[in-house]
Amino acid sequence: MIKSSGEWMRGTGPEAEIVISSRVRLARNIRGFRFITKMDATERGSCETLIQNAILDAKIAQPNMYMPLHKSEGLDRKFLVERHLISKEHEDAQHHRGVAIGENEAVAIMVNEEDHIRLQVLQSGFQLPEAWKICNRIDDELEQRLEYSFSPQLGYLTACPTNVGTGMRVSVMLHLPALVLTRHIEKVFQAVGKINLAVRGLYGEGTEASGHFYQISNQVTLGRTEDEIVKNVQDVIPTIVGYEHRARQSLLSKDRKRLEDRVWCAYGMLKYKHVLPSDEAMMLLSAVRMGVHLGLIKDLSLRTVNELFIFTQPAHLQKLTGRALEPMERDIKRADFVRAKLAQCKH
Amino acid sequence: MGMKCEVSNCENEATVHLTEIREGKKHEMHLCERCAAEKGLPGKSHFSISDLLAGIASQAQQQAQKPKRGKEAACPVCTTTLTQFQSSGRFGCPECYTTFKEDVLGLVEKIHDAAQHVGKVPKRVSSEISLQKDLRQLQLDLKRAVRKEDYEKAAAIRDQIRQMEEKVKAEESQAQADAPALPKPATPPVPPPGHGKKKTDGGEKK
Repeated sequence: MIKSSGEWMRGTGPEAEIVISSRVRLARNIRGFRFITKMDATERGSCETLIQNAILDAKIAQPNMYMPLHKSEGLDRKFLVERHLISKEHEDAQHHRGVAIGENEAVAIMVNEEDHIRLQVLQSGFQLPEAWKICNRIDDELEQRLEYSFSPQLGYLTACPTNVGTGMRVSVMLHLPALVLTRHIEKVFQAVGKINLAVRGLYGEGTEASGHFYQISNQVTLGRTEDEIVKNVQDVIPTIVGYEHRARQSLLSKDRKRLEDRVWCAYGMLKYKHVLPSDEAMMLLSAVRMGVHLGLIKDLSLRTVNELFIFTQPAHLQKLTGRALEPMERDIKRADFVRAKLAQCKH
Repeated sequence: MGMKCEVSNCENEATVHLTEIREGKKHEMHLCERCAAEKGLPGKSHFSISDLLAGIASQAQQQAQKPKRGKEAACPVCTTTLTQFQSSGRFGCPECYTTFKEDVLGLVEKIHDAAQHVGKVPKRVSSEISLQKDLRQLQLDLKRAVRKEDYEKAAAIRDQIRQMEEKVKAEESQAQADAPALPKPATPPVPPPGHGKKKTDGGEKK
């Protein structure tokens, strides 16, 4: 996995220059089991086995792509978080739990997270209905093999009532550097807040919007059909993407020199730096990514920039190096990695 | 009043609190909405789940203080109490939704502005629901037949109901095993033929 990159990092798909990825996740619990917090070790173990067998039987993941996380190394778990395949909570937990990863990393099923099953489908670019279609199909497959906890009134029963009903969270990851630079990002939050959607940072709940990445997602999971929830998020994205496009064009037309300076400085820094802390890398890559989209930088692809964002994360760097690294060593390795990668691109 | 925004010279109250774990270190930021927006951070979401949970908590405490003298009600399956739910925000098992139904429905309505699921239904459940619907219809037909003193028809319907009930039971026992299952509407016993009320009006046609 360290050598490859997930489907969603490809920088393809509709609106890929601004919409990084589209994600749909479903929360499900198995009837006959308590929720995670009240389970003892035996119950967690048998719940995990039951779900694991169903996943493998349905051929959603290859047997070697089911990872029992309680037996795994901390670094491997961090790596999966950076890849958006497991949550931070899943990384940190202590009990019996796992993750199944499907082809191209487009599908990931967390087992024994906050709910027994957290099924996610990640697609590159703006492809929410497609992500939902895949997710729904996999959910059907699992449903044939497992009995879900379900109430006709409250729908799929989840450990937290914020997920009850459809158990569905739909989110879109956006790259909005120009709206931040032009100080219009607040308008986005206002527009989004009005229609019951949430804005979060790169790695979900409680994380900072580093690298100018923002996740827009639904909050309401009950009283609407899955299609309506998808549509609710789907409808707001073109407006935000439109704002970002306009902000980028206005920077180009009204402040071109300063924009070019920002983009090229960032590119130069990435090409020549020898010590590169994570925050700095994110900010520089963000400017470069915008420069690639606006045609200022012509010898780099969005895919390369997307991959650099992920491969320069701490666990990725350590996996690439093959050992644990101290923070300073990481900053040096990060700079080395970025320099080497950018040197491969012709100027 | 809570804490102040950490941006220098800003006197506003910090309402945006961000915690990030970056390279194993915890970074905290406390900002007002304006400074957060200036830094390009998401503002406070439109509702706060902790506020809602706090609301539930005060209800739970009031209930606990009621002159019941006993302990706070706990879920029979997982022993979770409403106070525990308030502090964790998580239920212990699906049965909690039934145990704390009144509080849950109130909370759920506040969060989602709805109290009825309209989305996907597992195929197994949808067939169960339709089976029960058929069963209810048959029971109505049976009552009607008895009322009309059409005992031959009533007996036939009764047999049909028995068959269906057995099917439901078989499915339940197979699926349930050790499940803390959700309560199903109980099926009223089939009245023996000839025990029905007398015809009251001639309103219904065969």
